[in-house]
Amino acid sequence: MAVPAISVEQLTRVYSSRKGFLFNEVTRTEALRGVDLEVAPGELFGLLGPNGAGKTTLAKILSTLLLPTSGRAHVLGLDVVREANRIRPRIGLVLGGERGLYYRVSGRENLRYFADLYGIARSEREPRITEMLERVGLGDSGDRRVEEYSRGMKQKLHLARGLLHAPELLFLDEPTIGLDPKSARETRKFVRALLAEGVTIFLTTHYMFEAEELCQRIAVLSKGKIVATDTVPGLRRLVGGDRTFEIDGYGFEDSELARVRALPGVSRLVTEEFGPRLRITLRVQDPQLELDRVAQCLLGHPELEVRERRTALEDIYLDLVEEEPA
Amino acid sequence: MRTAVRPSRPRAFFASLRLSLLLFLADPQWVIPATIAPVIFGFAAFELYSGSGATLVLYAILGAGMMSMWGQTLYGAGWATSQDRELGTLEPTLSAPTSYLWVVFGRIVVNAVTGLVGGLVVFAVVSLAYPHPLPLQRPFEFLLLFAFVLVTLASVGLVLSAVYVYTRYAGFINNFGEFGFYIITGSMFPVVLLPFWTSPIALLLPPTWALDALRYASLPGYVGFRWGFVGDLVGAVATMLVYLTIAGSVYHRVETHVLTVGNLQEY
Repeated sequence: MAVPAISVEQLTRVYSSRKGFLFNEVTRTEALRGVDLEVAPGELFGLLGPNGAGKTTLAKILSTLLLPTSGRAHVLGLDVVREANRIRPRIGLVLGGERGLYYRVSGRENLRYFADLYGIARSEREPRITEMLERVGLGDSGDRRVEEYSRGMKQKLHLARGLLHAPELLFLDEPTIGLDPKSARETRKFVRALLAEGVTIFLTTHYMFEAEELCQRIAVLSKGKIVATDTVPGLRRLVGGDRTFEIDGYGFEDSELARVRALPGVSRLVTEEFGPRLRITLRVQDPQLELDRVAQCLLGHPELEVRERRTALEDIYLDLVEEEPA
Repeated sequence: MRTAVRPSRPRAFFASLRLSLLLFLADPQWVIPATIAPVIFGFAAFELYSGSGATLVLYAILGAGMMSMWGQTLYGAGWATSQDRELGTLEPTLSAPTSYLWVVFGRIVVNAVTGLVGGLVVFAVVSLAYPHPLPLQRPFEFLLLFAFVLVTLASVGLVLSAVYVYTRYAGFINNFGEFGFYIITGSMFPVVLLPFWTSPIALLLPPTWALDALRYASLPGYVGFRWGFVGDLVGAVATMLVYLTIAGSVYHRVETHVLTVGNLQEY
């Protein structure tokens, strides 16, 4: 059996911060609370979660930039605490955003520096830099100073740097954040190409459609714990069906909502208020249940707007994150 | 495509050295510490000591040159790491499979060499302005020792740089350290003129010894520490080795600490 690319058992991470000058008050924040997960070699694994859920903390522990408080984590079969130096040459880390580059020198010079830190053979260094610049679409601007780059170009340079040493496992933290749609699409295309080359990818993102489009399996992290790990269809089943009904109307009675909830095949009912208007969202498991039957439970509301759609990853995500107790 | 990856300390050192030089030259402010400040130090020294005889002028030049070199070395140790924090490059650098110690060492050397240039600018300025030839005793030894002082400064800078990785308050330490060292190491005044309690502190610093050796080598009739030129050299090498050993052992702990605390992105 192949060694998992990533294997995590009961991983915890607690941040301590101090306040005050003479009498320090120590605040402890649990960023990860017993995380378990496994990623297979060659898989594109997505990690979703709200802000502060612990996504970046987990990615940093796995990329040896942070030590866990307890638990175990292995990357490419190596322990992240004891064997970090053996892991580092084999993984790539791409942190999104504007920072993380030497902006007064050229993109090529940035890559040259990191190629030397990674010890890429001198004979391979320049061809590899040129190849990476061309692959990410910076072939013509590699010799320009990074301070002249747009945000999208900086993101591409981050990608080129993360891939320069041909890592077996790539950590992508919000790779398309802040990018225009065209650049974001190019980045996703690039990620798919890497996957086809056999690179294992661990992606953290806020963008549901991106995760749905790219990831083979997804874990949802909420308040430091993994609340679900599965494929997108598997997650749909988990939250109660791949069909979603949305019903907009006014003045629904509790008894009417109870009748809808009791319909066979309705696995979940959520209400949201939009001013005086109320939206009922139903997760539906039974393929026989028709919209008409739902509307019959709400006959006193002729102004009803009723629609059916496929359950999106965003629905699943919100169901999972909102269900998680504090 | 697989790429042969063989991390090595010399590669990391020279990569850091090259990048530091490029970053230094890319920032137009480099003109101030490398040329303008030394020229001002040089003229100040000349004005203060020009009526006091050639030996004292030379003494003052050495002090001004040391101030320039130390300022740059400390800058290299502290500001380079702070800059990495500010730019967000500390994380990708630490995630590379090379000890950060070698990266910092490269930066310190670049900054110390620019400081050396500054020191030589001071010497050139005063030599040109002073109407009499400066009585440099042993020019070859003087140049060798000048470079040696630079290495001793770098060893102290290396230890300090570990603190800069640890904390984000490098600017504060830099400012405090810069002037304290000018005084304690005898750059500005002979150590013997300072209160007696400063002597043990001064002797813990390799540049104090190296600077005294430099003065023995360059100033006619100089009377420094009683153990003389050779004693100074032995003391400088011994203390420098202590500092390099401390840097080597402290760095691993500091790296572990920052990975535990998780403050690499703070600045």
